[in-house]
Amino acid sequence: MSTDILTIAEAAALISAGKLSPVELTEACLARVKVFEPELHAFVTLTEERARADARRAEAEIRASGPKSPLHGIPIGLKDIIDTKGILTTCQSAHNIGNVPGKDAASAAALDAAGTVLMGKLTTHEFADGGPSFDLPWPPARNPWDTQRFTAGSSSGTGAAVAAGLVLGGLGTDTGGSIRGPAALCGIVGLKPTYGLVSRAGVAPAAYSLDHIGPMAWTTEDCALMLQALAGHDPADPASADRPVPDYTAGLAKGAKGLKIGVLQRWHESDRPVAPAVQAGIDAAIAAYRSLGAEVVEIKLSALQEYTAAGFFIATVERGAAYERMMLKNPEKFGQRYRDRLVFAALCTGMDYVQALRRRRELIAEMTAAMAGVDVVLTAGNPDEAPPIDQVPRWDNLDKPNFTMAFNLTGMPAICVPSGFGPNGLPVSIQLAARPFGEAVLLQAAHAFEKATPWRQRRPAMLGLAEAA
Amino acid sequence: MSETISVEAFRLLLDRAGIRVKPESFEDMRNAYTLLQAMRERVRTSRGYDAEPAHIFTPADR
Repeated sequence: MSTDILTIAEAAALISAGKLSPVELTEACLARVKVFEPELHAFVTLTEERARADARRAEAEIRASGPKSPLHGIPIGLKDIIDTKGILTTCQSAHNIGNVPGKDAASAAALDAAGTVLMGKLTTHEFADGGPSFDLPWPPARNPWDTQRFTAGSSSGTGAAVAAGLVLGGLGTDTGGSIRGPAALCGIVGLKPTYGLVSRAGVAPAAYSLDHIGPMAWTTEDCALMLQALAGHDPADPASADRPVPDYTAGLAKGAKGLKIGVLQRWHESDRPVAPAVQAGIDAAIAAYRSLGAEVVEIKLSALQEYTAAGFFIATVERGAAYERMMLKNPEKFGQRYRDRLVFAALCTGMDYVQALRRRRELIAEMTAAMAGVDVVLTAGNPDEAPPIDQVPRWDNLDKPNFTMAFNLTGMPAICVPSGFGPNGLPVSIQLAARPFGEAVLLQAAHAFEKATPWRQRRPAMLGLAEAA
Repeated sequence: MSETISVEAFRLLLDRAGIRVKPESFEDMRNAYTLLQAMRERVRTSRGYDAEPAHIFTPADR
């Protein structure tokens, strides 16, 4: 691990042993914020006083009766579309300047109940879509590996803040890849859970039937620890699943022996050919899984374009429905990128939407059948390293298929895990996905790959840290 | 790939939807509308009329 920045699991062990104070840990994060935030723009709102108060309270509680969870006293951040009681929640939009919710989102409340320290609200694309935008009241986040590069989005601030150690973990949301994209480009781990596993209540919608809330952290183990606090039934979310929550860390040490890994070769080799560094990461993952005792087979599905077309069409219409009133009344308050995407929603018909939903059912059936014979599937997380932030195509994801939307469309859990670095020294990633509610095996497979590779030893150069042995 | 929609037809679609587009965005959006058209075509497969939508999304084993 990095010599200076702890993972959640490392910090939790030290806190539990009385060797680290949550106050000390929080001050270390705040000190990094002071140095790096002016370049990174990871925060919309830094809740410095709240963080110090949370840390002092955690310290007193732990001293009195021990930690109530592995997250007790851990500094975290929340994407700024997640409601926080008494704290500005902007959705990065001029429409929400001054919006201070009276209640925490269910996911924010769950992390608070676990004892986390809230460092602040993290940068996003406007209403979680369309960025990077330079015409909003707040600037876009910058990638800590190279601040001239894109973080991906829309959980851009969470990706940047975790990679730079400003927080130890954070929440993102994912409608077509908004957790996994920033995880891939910022060199961290991002988990989109199964649709319905984590409550969406109190989170601004991007597209109702595709929205997911999930953890972003330095390691797979940290994501598992966060998911443990987040998963569970919530009647306030009409899509919430009512089913038992397993122990997500219990299987992490099992390794990959006996797992069956399906490779979605067509997607990253011909439907959208990936950069050599990304392909090398996939090849390394296949080799690692084989050497760990897993069976690797090829899985065949319809073209990636089929999944992304249905997904982005549904997302376009559902986004339009959510923000129709704002669009008709005050379109000038939106940034141009988001506003122009909303226009497309108004140009779709009811029949278009139902046809996309019919296609969705067919594709869910296809993927469900294909995944029945394997434990997890493997493909790319992102096709290449991070592009320059000023060269991100305006219609990104509409003109070329991405690798993440397919699992929003089918609701299946998916995770991006770092798989190396490209020629520009920027991180690349693999993506793994599993059957609905298969998070335990998904995390097991991701953890096994992570432990078999050295990619968690290196932090962004801007932090000035020595690479851990 | 679909053909680019004509200026007149695109303006009509916008008017019908009651949407105002900044003049500097118009041409870019008219060209990008081709991408939406391509998605529109992709989601229409040769299925029978009894093919149901995923109107209530339910993961297989919820």
